[in-house]
Amino acid sequence: MPSTNTILAILWWASYTVLGVWAQKVVPGVDFLAPGIVLSMQEEAGHRTLWLALVWILLLEGMGSLPFGYGVAWYGLLICFYFIGCWLFEARSILFMGLLGIGLGVLHPVLVYSLSNLANLTVPFRPTLLEGLAQAVIFPIVWMAADQLFPKRLRQDVKHL
Amino acid sequence: MKKPKKIAIVIVVGLFVYLSMYTWNLRTGYLDALSSYTGLDVSGLILRPGIWVSDKVSGFWGRYIYLVGLKQENDILREEVAEHRRNAMFLNAEARSAERLERLLGFEAPTRWGFSGARVIAHRMGPSGSLDTLTVDKGSSAGVGNDTPVVSPDGIVGRVLQAGTSASSVLLLTDSNSRIAVFGDQNRSPGMLSGQGYGQPLLVRYVNLNAVIDPGELLLSSGLSGIYPKGLPVARVSKVQRSDISLFLTVLAEPLVDVARLEEVLMLRPDAGPQADQTPVGEEVTDGAIH
Repeated sequence: MPSTNTILAILWWASYTVLGVWAQKVVPGVDFLAPGIVLSMQEEAGHRTLWLALVWILLLEGMGSLPFGYGVAWYGLLICFYFIGCWLFEARSILFMGLLGIGLGVLHPVLVYSLSNLANLTVPFRPTLLEGLAQAVIFPIVWMAADQLFPKRLRQDVKHL
Repeated sequence: MKKPKKIAIVIVVGLFVYLSMYTWNLRTGYLDALSSYTGLDVSGLILRPGIWVSDKVSGFWGRYIYLVGLKQENDILREEVAEHRRNAMFLNAEARSAERLERLLGFEAPTRWGFSGARVIAHRMGPSGSLDTLTVDKGSSAGVGNDTPVVSPDGIVGRVLQAGTSASSVLLLTDSNSRIAVFGDQNRSPGMLSGQGYGQPLLVRYVNLNAVIDPGELLLSSGLSGIYPKGLPVARVSKVQRSDISLFLTVLAEPLVDVARLEEVLMLRPDAGPQADQTPVGEEVTDGAIH
């Protein structure tokens, strides 16, 4: 029998996923689920983040139009950025989230350009750059909103310094 | 082993594994199919209830509350229907006559295509949605497969890029990776139509310098690629330029369909057997099937 916390966590993340998918329909080219990966690592690092990443990779790849591989690289490198950043910054600082957003904003056009070249596809570069810019701005905002709404009883982190 | 060396080995191995997975998938398509049958279907399931509610609300508003100009619109539509009926009467007679002549001359009857309607549930989605696509609520359970032609009453929209069980993504004709073999309606000059991105004109490639093609001419699918049926309207020529350095004309065209405003589309599928085996000459073509 799953505990109340597990059920609450499943419900919360399912709602976050639904809202994220709708947001991605409204603002194409921007990933609203990526801040969830970071929040999950901050709050309940472990197998739950891996499950979330797996489900969201499949969602991202299914919704997208590039050959399979973007989501794996996207979330893989986001997790690497997060761990590298944790050596230098306080993990929950807004500055760090802003830098992660900029990192993802740069990563998006680089990944799209590289993977589309590998698959011999033509992708217009200018819209991709604008999407990267939007991603850099939206990432810390979504992270802050999700952090505020994350249920207190599921939090396992230390309080702010 | 020193730490930097370990990190370098991890990076190289990770890159190798990733690129192997990527190229293996490009060859086999297994992972694309997996993501279509999971991610695409799940996103369709997530979006569908909201779209259903939105349709119902806007339908209720349009049908029962916002009735401004309804009478005038109704009169215009009646006139249009009457004109279409007149046209259809003459065209049906011509089609039957052409069919009889083709049979007399021993032409093989063209493939008969059936169609089913699908609702557009999203356009480009997610960061990896870099191509001009839209998502529809029909998938392999409704007989939709990869490369299924997608049309609207105005003309060709594109073809299915990935089909899930209950949702599919459609590559639009405006995308730079779309190619459609076409010919001119009047002068029959062949070419290859490709997109240049949404909002940009379409480019007709490989039209010979001595070919006759006029601005305003309708471009029809030639059916040579085997994906689209022959004779469907695709675009209208907007500009023809003769180049001094190229062996081909520079031809630009405007799509007949405004892909950003599409709400419903038709998915085509070839019916089993040629038309002649199913429809006797002289019988009218029924709804749900076209030549």
